[in-house]
Amino acid sequence: MSLGNYGRARLRSGLTTAGVAIGTALVVLLIALATGAEDNVRRSIFSIGDLRLVTVQPFQPGANGLSAVPRTITDDTVAKLKDVAHVDGVYRQFDAPLGMVVEGGDDATIRPQGIEPGAPIDRGDLLAGRHLEAGDRAVAVIPGNIARLVAPNVGAAVGKTVTMRVGGAVKLGSTRIGGSGTPRDYTVKIVGVFDEQASQTSFRIPLDDALLAGAENRGLTPDGIRETTGYSGLAVEADDSINVADIVKAVQELGFSSFSLKQVVEQIDQGFGVFKGILAGIGGVALLVAAIGIANTMVMSVLERTREIGIMKAVGASPRDIRTLFLAEAAYVGVFGGILGLALGLAGGQIIDRVIRQLNPRTNPAAIFVVGPDLALGALALALGVALLAGFLPARRAMRMSALSALRYE
Amino acid sequence: MNAPLAVEAVGLERTYSSGHATVAALAGVTLGIRRGEFVAVMGPSGSGKSTLLNVVAGLERPTGGTIRVDGEDLATLNEEALARHRSKRVGMVFQAFNLLPRFRVVDNVALPLAFSGVPTAERTLRARAMLERLGMTARADHRSNELSGGELQRAAIARALIGEPAILLADEPTGNLDTANGAALLALFEELHAHGQTVLLVTHDAQIASHAGRTIRMRDGRVVDQ
Repeated sequence: MSLGNYGRARLRSGLTTAGVAIGTALVVLLIALATGAEDNVRRSIFSIGDLRLVTVQPFQPGANGLSAVPRTITDDTVAKLKDVAHVDGVYRQFDAPLGMVVEGGDDATIRPQGIEPGAPIDRGDLLAGRHLEAGDRAVAVIPGNIARLVAPNVGAAVGKTVTMRVGGAVKLGSTRIGGSGTPRDYTVKIVGVFDEQASQTSFRIPLDDALLAGAENRGLTPDGIRETTGYSGLAVEADDSINVADIVKAVQELGFSSFSLKQVVEQIDQGFGVFKGILAGIGGVALLVAAIGIANTMVMSVLERTREIGIMKAVGASPRDIRTLFLAEAAYVGVFGGILGLALGLAGGQIIDRVIRQLNPRTNPAAIFVVGPDLALGALALALGVALLAGFLPARRAMRMSALSALRYE
Repeated sequence: MNAPLAVEAVGLERTYSSGHATVAALAGVTLGIRRGEFVAVMGPSGSGKSTLLNVVAGLERPTGGTIRVDGEDLATLNEEALARHRSKRVGMVFQAFNLLPRFRVVDNVALPLAFSGVPTAERTLRARAMLERLGMTARADHRSNELSGGELQRAAIARALIGEPAILLADEPTGNLDTANGAALLALFEELHAHGQTVLLVTHDAQIASHAGRTIRMRDGRVVDQ
């Protein structure tokens, strides 16, 4: 019966439904745009590294914007972190002073990073050779760009021996960019080449070699470096990314600053949550206008059908029947408007996507608009909810109408 | 006649207030109508006869006294129960027919069953059977605006009878009909009565009232003769 009523005033029902459809389409489009942007950002972050990692830095964050306070990361720190729940591994890192590869000339500026075998930084990005292994000494895993300076191709660089000069003035072209102490040369064998997308200067060398180079640069012993300077950082690996927050807390309790992609992702999620809320609000205004349209249509419908309501009540319709009848009509507007709006939103997203790609062929290949099942169902539920809310007062008015007064209504 | 009472009113009152003025449409009506009776309520305009019918139909609530229809005290019923009373216990025929113009005749007749939870197929079947009984089969699929006055009132009677009510209520049912159609309608009431249907008919016309088995006369909200 309600469907019949919906179809009776086709133009009016159609226009009201169109209002809901436009509002729903706008909500879908805006949230799909925000979701697409969020997905792209998240994908970029995930490509940077592992969400299970927490990096421990050798300083304590300053309170209330004050400068950070330097702290020393020692083997005692490492031991304490290994005892923290959900910690799968703790990898020490020591950065020796900047240097260069003699065979590569002025362009071969390097950052010797002493790491432990299996460290997260030295995983899965090899172009040739192997990663560092236990017992390695005087070896290096180097970036592809440096490998090409010392050999015709990355494959040919593996097995080659190069001179790594640590310390002294380090120049990039004619500009001094760093370096300290007296330069000292170390002969290292290239055992692996990694993709330089990760770093164009990092020389991954055994931790003990880096400590030795750092110590000799400053006239100390490796043990002296361990105790006074401490490690440059630690990579703490959680058993699961959901436990990263607990590990971050433990690091902070030990008095160290930490960084994790997981935290960045959470902050981005929060930021995008607000962004989506704002966009949904803008779409919501359109739906609010549509809701006023529904309410207006329903009020008119109740007025026009006053006598009909009286007749139905006289032959046995209960107040609940009448309310259901009018709410069902509002629901049809919501459901049809929601479906139409969802279709419009999806089609609109596709069209805008194509136009953007035609105008700028270098656009990120990932989807610009992302409509997941959550958004699709949510948009339908929203349209239905708005329609029912808008239809509630007119339906209640119809429900409360006196049968006799309605029968006498002209 | 010892049939149980279909309608029993005791000291029934219905007053309307407008500003400081109070009008008593029913001022202590006491009457009884037995099952199977064909009763006409007669009186001049403003005598309270339509109000009495509306109270029996459950369209209006009395302001005093008691009214029982088929044994049920209407004062104790809430709005939902009153709606069920209208759909199952009474059938109402109006002077203005009150059919829904956008519905087919069969759908109009089936309407009360829709509010009693009867499935669509069954109510259509029952509506067609009722129309056949009243000689309206040919008009079942027409819209009400395609019917003559007499046909409209027959369709309205079919709708009133579809729920097999204990009592058929008719408020000036011949008021909008010509003489021939009016006479045919009264013949139909007599026929229904002959088959055991309780009929309560309100009219201001003594000639129409003469078709009933008994006439209750009202004046100024009171029963003056029954």
